[in-house]
Amino acid sequence: MIDRLANHRVARTYVATRDQLARLPFWVRVIVILGAVGGSVLANGDDYVTAVGVSVATYAMLGLGLNIVVGYAGLLDLGYAAFFAIGAYTSALLMTQAHWNFFATLPLAVLFTGTAGAILGYPTLRLRSDYLAIVTLGFGEMTRITFNNWDYAGGPNGILQIPWPNFFGYELNTQGDFFIVGLALLAVAMIFAQNLDHSRLGRGWVAIREDEFAAESVGVPSLRLKLFAYVMGGMWGGLAGAFFATRIGAIDPTSFTFQLSVLVLIVIVLGGIGSLPGVIVGALVVVAMPEVLREFADRRLLIFAVLLIGMMLVRPQGLWPRIRRKPKPFYGLEEEESEDVADKILREHQVQMEERDRRHAAAGRQVPQRGEALLEVEGVVQQFGGLRAVDNVTFEVYRGEIFSIIGPNGGGKTTLFNCITGVQKPKRGKIRFDGRSVVGLRPHVIVSRGIGRTFQGIRLFKQMAVFENVMVGLYPRHRTMTWQAMLHTPGERNDEVRTLQESRRWLGFVGLESVAGRLATELSYADQRRVEIARALAAHPHLVLFDEPAAGMNPTEKLELVGIIRKIRDLGITVVLIDHDMSLVMRVSDRIAVLDHGVLIAIGKPAEIQQNPLVIEAYLGREEDLVEEQAEGA
Amino acid sequence: MEATCTIPASGHGLSLGWSHKHRIAEAKGGKKGMGEFLQYTVIGLTVGSFYALVALGYTIVYGIIRLINFAQGDLSMVGAFLGWTLLVSFGLDRLPLYLALIIAFVVPMLGTAVVNLGILQFAYKPLLKRSLLAILITALGMSLLLQNTAELIWGPRIEAYPPNLLPSTGFFMGPVHVTYVQIALAFVSLLLMGAMVLFIQGTTVGTAMRALAVDHDAARLMGINVDGVIRLAFVLGAMLAAASGVMLGLYYVQIQFTLGFLLGLRAFTAAVIGGIGNIPGAMAGGMLIGLLESYTTGYLSGKWKDVIVFGVLITVLIVKPTGLFGERVAERM
Repeated sequence: MIDRLANHRVARTYVATRDQLARLPFWVRVIVILGAVGGSVLANGDDYVTAVGVSVATYAMLGLGLNIVVGYAGLLDLGYAAFFAIGAYTSALLMTQAHWNFFATLPLAVLFTGTAGAILGYPTLRLRSDYLAIVTLGFGEMTRITFNNWDYAGGPNGILQIPWPNFFGYELNTQGDFFIVGLALLAVAMIFAQNLDHSRLGRGWVAIREDEFAAESVGVPSLRLKLFAYVMGGMWGGLAGAFFATRIGAIDPTSFTFQLSVLVLIVIVLGGIGSLPGVIVGALVVVAMPEVLREFADRRLLIFAVLLIGMMLVRPQGLWPRIRRKPKPFYGLEEEESEDVADKILREHQVQMEERDRRHAAAGRQVPQRGEALLEVEGVVQQFGGLRAVDNVTFEVYRGEIFSIIGPNGGGKTTLFNCITGVQKPKRGKIRFDGRSVVGLRPHVIVSRGIGRTFQGIRLFKQMAVFENVMVGLYPRHRTMTWQAMLHTPGERNDEVRTLQESRRWLGFVGLESVAGRLATELSYADQRRVEIARALAAHPHLVLFDEPAAGMNPTEKLELVGIIRKIRDLGITVVLIDHDMSLVMRVSDRIAVLDHGVLIAIGKPAEIQQNPLVIEAYLGREEDLVEEQAEGA
Repeated sequence: MEATCTIPASGHGLSLGWSHKHRIAEAKGGKKGMGEFLQYTVIGLTVGSFYALVALGYTIVYGIIRLINFAQGDLSMVGAFLGWTLLVSFGLDRLPLYLALIIAFVVPMLGTAVVNLGILQFAYKPLLKRSLLAILITALGMSLLLQNTAELIWGPRIEAYPPNLLPSTGFFMGPVHVTYVQIALAFVSLLLMGAMVLFIQGTTVGTAMRALAVDHDAARLMGINVDGVIRLAFVLGAMLAAASGVMLGLYYVQIQFTLGFLLGLRAFTAAVIGGIGNIPGAMAGGMLIGLLESYTTGYLSGKWKDVIVFGVLITVLIVKPTGLFGERVAERM
């Protein structure tokens, strides 16, 4: 419509302004827009409108905090009011009992809410997300009841006569003052949230939301990231609470009910889960609608309930949906010659390897040399009920070789991989990597020790572009700190560019640079497997485990795969691979182990395996197995 | 009967235990030690049997579609109000007692079942294939919608069941006073739970429900009408909730549109403590929560009741997330 009216002068100005705004960095846009809105409300001078504006700002701040928890990390928090309450009570008690300045109470309010979030979150964030919803709900109620029963904090009467904030001698006591403070806090919150969303943390959160298991297995510390989102969201709630306390001047437990938690949730659902402008829109609807439609004010919860359900059914993306930036792979990076890329990767990887070996040697550990045991599996047993999936398996993988594990279906191969990568804990036995035990470590820790993997059924992050998938694989190698991500510092920017550069090299390595910007699901089966390989390599592993990388590939693609596997070995990376394609396995492997019904029946060079009577029996002796297997493999 | 009762200004703060406390105060008169303990036990088991019914509904629905139906507690509230409407507004209390009671149980159970079917069909069905977050938020919205619709229909005031409908007399078992109402209500609860267990363990449809709890696709391939079984689970869940709602009304006399919130939370806690999807677990969990609440109110203070209940929930989830009796839900990867 705007385009049709483009001749009109106002419309032309609007379009021009919009385009100019879109070109500015996000933080400038936030300040310009909030400044303009704030200025016009203040110029209007109506105290009532300003007061509504302060409420909108408060709800928007709460919404931004909850958005990190629900929108970014995908955790349903139904007790968010608890953080608001802890922040409000901390600040109010310090101001009334200890006569602190409002601004001095803020760090403590934030610290207390963050601590509360960490204490609750650490043990409970491992739970299924629906259980978490109930736990947080319970926490919200516990907090409210505790304040209600706590006499020092005024019990049911709460805290009265909270003083106005004093800003270097200037007392903030009008709605206009609070509006300015509220908008300033809101602007800071929005800029931080935006920066976090577009940092490696944001990428990690998307990965967790899409497939937590895969994210953890490629090195994203999922529990830590969820805890971080939860604590972070809680701290914002605490800040908003402190602001609320001093503005209202009196707080009591009824200000912090379950209803408030639900209202804040409605703010982000209406606006659009994960969307920053959506939070403002949602806050406007939730605060302003009951003001405008006075006659329905009593029925506002009914209306919100209908809106909540209606939005989920009809428009789950919200009124102002989160816009996924159209991914621009390698935007602004200089072109690299393809021959260079292989050299660069080789050099880079050798540097990484040497550095690691030096570190290990410095720490007094023995560094396995080429041809010495890198991975030692000793007497590993894994049992499900009465079934022994892996039965007392012992073998070693030498540094620098290509080692294959073959065997009939149900032989325990994938289970063995899961034990090595920390997905499962073996019932018995030892697994040592680089001479150190990896049993009982979380998968992402094992990735950072230097073991990468791919999955039997492809587990890429479907909503992410191909290059972003590979960037997730680089997660463990980032050096940036969170505060740098929040402020979007030059250091963080450099780190991001380096990550982008490296993800491009790895995609070039597997021959997929040209499709880097596509969504992972748009690629062919074979190419998706190659993306998985690139994602596993991006963490610079010492050892990679490939689970049936050739499944679903045609002969040409398999040939290319053999080439890639050899190239990986030439980088100095040890490869362990599971596959059913005998000709591929025989061609590429240095040594082969055969698992049948969880038992290691043979180990040796390809030629020895081909002659081994036990192997021949396991494969050929029971013809029906082979037929079934081929049918399933296809 | 109980004359005074204060409701916190926030609607959601309604404590179910107000008259409960009164009963305990009654019980405290003169008795100490073992007698006191047994008295709390009787009260705890009575209330626990209500929780167990609602928890059973949670567990059946969760077992089949992995949804925490936040509206479960509010369905109890709807049942309680339907029963009240029949008894008070329609004057059923003038009928012979047993007839009035049968109608006051059966009609709300059917009515609530229809409501829950409507919720399933209209709101949850389109979302079953979408994200867990979407359906949880919708369930939460449903709970709000039920509460506020009930407020619209029956008003925000506290309503009272006919106080003299049931005899308030009882008998002494040693030092413990047990009322006939307690016996009757606990008996009805046990009857309903027993019927449910027999239905699920003993009938073909029940077997289909258990199959669905393990694997939807496999069940579908075996020719089970998956949608039909899901509907059945919602009907059963609602009927149990409604029955517990009417019982609450008869026991506590006073009801309000907010009573479903805390009831639902406590019942959910019971279902989780028993191991979600585990039917005997839900019953045991309900009894445990009832006892816990009764002892806390009696020995500590009613003020801390919910803090203790949620504290136990969080502790159980941290220490043994599958519940005390093990869950019966297939793991998803």
